[in-house]
Amino acid sequence: MKKQLLIIPFILFVLILSTFFYLLITERNPSELPSNLLDKNVPNFDTKSLLKNENFVSSKEFGNEIILVNFFATWCGPCRDEHVYIKRFSNEKGIRVIGINYKDNPDNAIKWLKNLGNPYSDVPLDDNGRIAIDWGVYGIPETFIVNSKGIIKYRHVGPITKKTYKKINLLIKKIE
Amino acid sequence: MINKTLIIIISICFIQFFSNNSYAVEPDEVLENKKQELRARNISKNIRCMVCQNQSIDESSAPLAKDLRILIRNKIIQGNKDKEIYKFLSDRYGDFILLKPPFKLSTLVLWFLPFIFFIVGVFIVFLHNKKSKKILKDI
Repeated sequence: MKKQLLIIPFILFVLILSTFFYLLITERNPSELPSNLLDKNVPNFDTKSLLKNENFVSSKEFGNEIILVNFFATWCGPCRDEHVYIKRFSNEKGIRVIGINYKDNPDNAIKWLKNLGNPYSDVPLDDNGRIAIDWGVYGIPETFIVNSKGIIKYRHVGPITKKTYKKINLLIKKIE
Repeated sequence: MINKTLIIIISICFIQFFSNNSYAVEPDEVLENKKQELRARNISKNIRCMVCQNQSIDESSAPLAKDLRILIRNKIIQGNKDKEIYKFLSDRYGDFILLKPPFKLSTLVLWFLPFIFFIVGVFIVFLHNKKSKKILKDI
């Protein structure tokens, strides 16, 4: 009886080991956090636009169509990497792409967009990072999908890769 | 010889005890009102730096941590209560930004499991003692 009980710690040990192993091999980024804004309304903001003379007013812009919101800056390396995919999104039908320029120099941003191509229909400026805080942004690039009712449906932290591009594309087709 | 090592150990302990923990608050951030500054420091110590994730914003020199420290100070000057500031931050970044998890239905297990384990442990020790006493008696 006693000897049989001794197997319990061993089983527990194997169980713990296999959970650790499972977490190790599954594709999971522990530093990527779920957004607290999912299924909530887009935060209100009113700020200067890089491309237009009039201000960007969020309440006027959101709530009509599906919008992809991309936080970017010219000083951010990964933003350059994902730029190809942002451009692809801007060519997709039924989606509008907006780029929020985070803590950047407007002149640099204009040059950057001229060189790499501009996928954004509008570029609101977040010069002190306050808008990003309202969106719960903690590390750019970050990308949000907002549905046609102005509700945030998805958030991706980090550069968009081929894999996430496909994933987001499928998602856009699902939501309204 | 023993005395010498003892003195060294004691002095190291003293240094550790009396030295301030390092913090990242920069001079231009500090509020003039000492009471308000203390409040800001206390809140900052309970807010996780979302960039480094294992430091508070009081200790972190990440740009976002600095922005949040300034934001907290501005909110204090505007007359916000501590509770309102915590809510403002957790509304945007989720409960993860609070270094101490809140007491909620979903966190009950987290809070009570240690106590349950403690009770189970006491129980096991108690049972074990009873058994060994019995064995002793039998001998």
